[in-house]
Amino acid sequence: MTILLLLVPLAVLLLAAAVAAFVWAVRHGQFDDLDTPALAPLLEDAAPPLQRHAD
Amino acid sequence: MAALVAGLPSGCFHCAEVLPAQAPTVAVDGVTRAFCCDGCAAAALWIRDAGLSQYYRLRRDEARRVSAEEEDFSAWMQPEILAEHAWAVPGGMEIVVLSAGLRCAACAWLVDQALMRENGVLDVTANAATGRIRLRWNPSAVDLSKLLQRLGALGFAPVLATGTARERTRRREWRRDVLRLGLAGIGAMQAMMFAEALYLDTAAQMPVATRDFLRWTTLLVSTPVVFIAGWPFIAGLLRGLRERSATMDVLAGASILLAYFASVVETLRGGGQVWFDASVMFVFLLLTARQLEQWARRRATLCVDALAQRRPVFAQREEGDGTLTRIATAKIRVGDVLRVDAGDSVPADGVLLDAQAALDEALLTGEALPVLRRRGDPIAAGSNCCERPLRLRVVRVGGDTRLAQLVRLLEQAQTQRPRLARAADRAARQFANGVLIAAVLVFGAWWWWQPARAFEVVLALLVISCPCALALALPAALAAATDALARRGVLVVRADAVEVLAAVDTLILDKTGTLTDTRLARDTVQTFGGMTCDEVLAIAASLQGDATHPLAAAFRAAAASGPELPRVASGTGQGTGPIAEPGAAEQAQIPCGLRPGLGIEGCVGGRHYRLGRADFAAARDDDGAVWLGDGQTALARFSVEQQLRANAAAAVATLQQLNISIEISTGDSAEAAAAVAGQLGINCWRARQTPEDKLARAQALQRAGHVVSMLGDGINDAPVLAGASVSFAFADGAALTHRAADLVLTGNALAGVAHSIAVARRTRRIVRQNLVWAATYNVVALPFAALGWVAPWLAALGMAGSSLFVVLNALRLSRSHT
Repeated sequence: MTILLLLVPLAVLLLAAAVAAFVWAVRHGQFDDLDTPALAPLLEDAAPPLQRHAD
Repeated sequence: MAALVAGLPSGCFHCAEVLPAQAPTVAVDGVTRAFCCDGCAAAALWIRDAGLSQYYRLRRDEARRVSAEEEDFSAWMQPEILAEHAWAVPGGMEIVVLSAGLRCAACAWLVDQALMRENGVLDVTANAATGRIRLRWNPSAVDLSKLLQRLGALGFAPVLATGTARERTRRREWRRDVLRLGLAGIGAMQAMMFAEALYLDTAAQMPVATRDFLRWTTLLVSTPVVFIAGWPFIAGLLRGLRERSATMDVLAGASILLAYFASVVETLRGGGQVWFDASVMFVFLLLTARQLEQWARRRATLCVDALAQRRPVFAQREEGDGTLTRIATAKIRVGDVLRVDAGDSVPADGVLLDAQAALDEALLTGEALPVLRRRGDPIAAGSNCCERPLRLRVVRVGGDTRLAQLVRLLEQAQTQRPRLARAADRAARQFANGVLIAAVLVFGAWWWWQPARAFEVVLALLVISCPCALALALPAALAAATDALARRGVLVVRADAVEVLAAVDTLILDKTGTLTDTRLARDTVQTFGGMTCDEVLAIAASLQGDATHPLAAAFRAAAASGPELPRVASGTGQGTGPIAEPGAAEQAQIPCGLRPGLGIEGCVGGRHYRLGRADFAAARDDDGAVWLGDGQTALARFSVEQQLRANAAAAVATLQQLNISIEISTGDSAEAAAAVAGQLGINCWRARQTPEDKLARAQALQRAGHVVSMLGDGINDAPVLAGASVSFAFADGAALTHRAADLVLTGNALAGVAHSIAVARRTRRIVRQNLVWAATYNVVALPFAALGWVAPWLAALGMAGSSLFVVLNALRLSRSHT
């Protein structure tokens, strides 16, 4: 069972990575709005945001 | 098919309101659509031309009516306002505004798209769930007022948010809560994985080194969950200990720490079992239930914020040379001469300088119809100026005004309101006492019989009696109830509102605006000169235009409820002509005008009309009714009366079935109160009540042992709303009442009260069931634990199972009952 000595720390590292990713996402506002983004796939993006720099 | 829809319009395509006789039209997506007003039509035109018309396909709710007049947002650019509400970000400024019109995800998308098209906008995030729009702009490239005007022109009229500090705190708290919940979820699942490995070693064949390695790893994973995610419970424990009160928080915090530290001790000394998984699961389950409850209530609070309709408040001061200066209301001094525009509220107490003026004091005193004030009469801050601008000299400002006195009364009442003991805290106290006594007895018994195992068994006993289900019982039920109420248009703002509501036995109702509306009785309209009822109503409604006082609203409502709207020949001058013919509006406006105290006159369809008192409109003697005529001959007579709201009788009957005793308390006259009470079958009523009287009555009832609820809509009700055990305000009532109330009613208002009380009582029943179940589970588990028979995995299973039962039982509340 010595493989556990490798696998368990590996699992803990992955866990740390997952928590870090989650913290990053929350801090960057990814969870601030849980309703509006649900609509995004239904919309044809009429005006890509870049357009406003053109006019 | 599409043409058929356009040919038979049921309402405005943009906001679904009733269409006028000559509705402006715009072709959207190749179909001609009709609109209620030029404002809505212009919004649709802009949306179509911007290529955003898919908004109409995706939205779930109709938009709000767009005001045809452009609102002036220049006041927002004042340095005082920007200093309080906006802050600097790289490249520009950022502000958060609220909009009550932001109702669904499609609205949020439309706002994003519309604002991103404007030059100088750096970033926009519209959030339909919170009703907030976060806007980042470059002040040197674009004026904020222009962006806000764009929002207003689409029907998302912005109002001020609650200030930079509160908005930032709100966002920080939200993120902190999400982080805690996420951390608890990820950590608890991982800790369960390691605990599983230990459980599966049923025959104790695992080498001690492997076992200890797994235990130390679990300790590593559990520690952040307990101390970061579980901090609210630990803080609650510390607070409870400081205040020496045994609440549910103390019980929860103590259980988490006990399970954790017992496991640490067992890990260190290589004891029989560890309970890290119980500790972290408890944190995760309890945190989830609490967050669901808090988020349901937070959504309600956010809606109420948008209802407060905060706008930059400025007063117009008349200088010595007759020019007007805009000044912040804080800068008003006694002796200043102020001008108040029609529709605005009076910023300070003063005396009238004009010959006469009509003031709507409904929110202040409960008087239903506008009152006429003459030169030298006192005018109270908070009353609304009707009909036309007025001038006043300030006699009292700030803390001395009647409005400020009411706010003080409100705050005082709020601190004095009686507290009900929370059922869950009582259960927690009994439970904690029971477990402690059991632990001492068991420890004594084992000490006498087998001292070596005594410590281990008592530790196991304490962990197994972990009151997870008990702690979940209340928040799970409250979350489900809050959600169920929100779907029925009742917003729960304060935490213990639902609990107190279940105990209510007396309800005090305000009359004006709560039980009655100012209404025009269609069946009492008399016409002279061959016109039909609908025709005269349409003319009267056109004359009133967009005026906001209750009478104008009554005419609009009566005209709209007609079977079919009459066609008024040619443009009416009230914004109902096709959008392509703006010239029509100009013809009618020359003789139009408000004659304070008399009525209104103007041109409709080329004819000149007067609407108002009989002597003004039809050269007859005044009889209290409203007449339509041309100044000489009468065309119609309308009687305006206080009518019961449509659902008032049914709602009162439902409340009486719930064994609630009902009282009416009004600032209006005794006759009016008696009439309404008689119609509704209410025996107890009080008329001519001041806010102080109302509050005193509520407090007297409370001293007599009643749990008193109050429903009101006016500023004069705010103190009693704050003093009642639990109180309701209307979404369209005064902003001060929202601050004082525990629940806010939107939509079909009166029925909401009976419904909330019924839901609250069901919630109380379910909480009791949950408490009994949780206690039973622990009582059954306790003897087995005392005998040292319960394996950790069995304890974890039992805990999760009983928690699941409690949550499922609570979810029954969200199933819709009527």
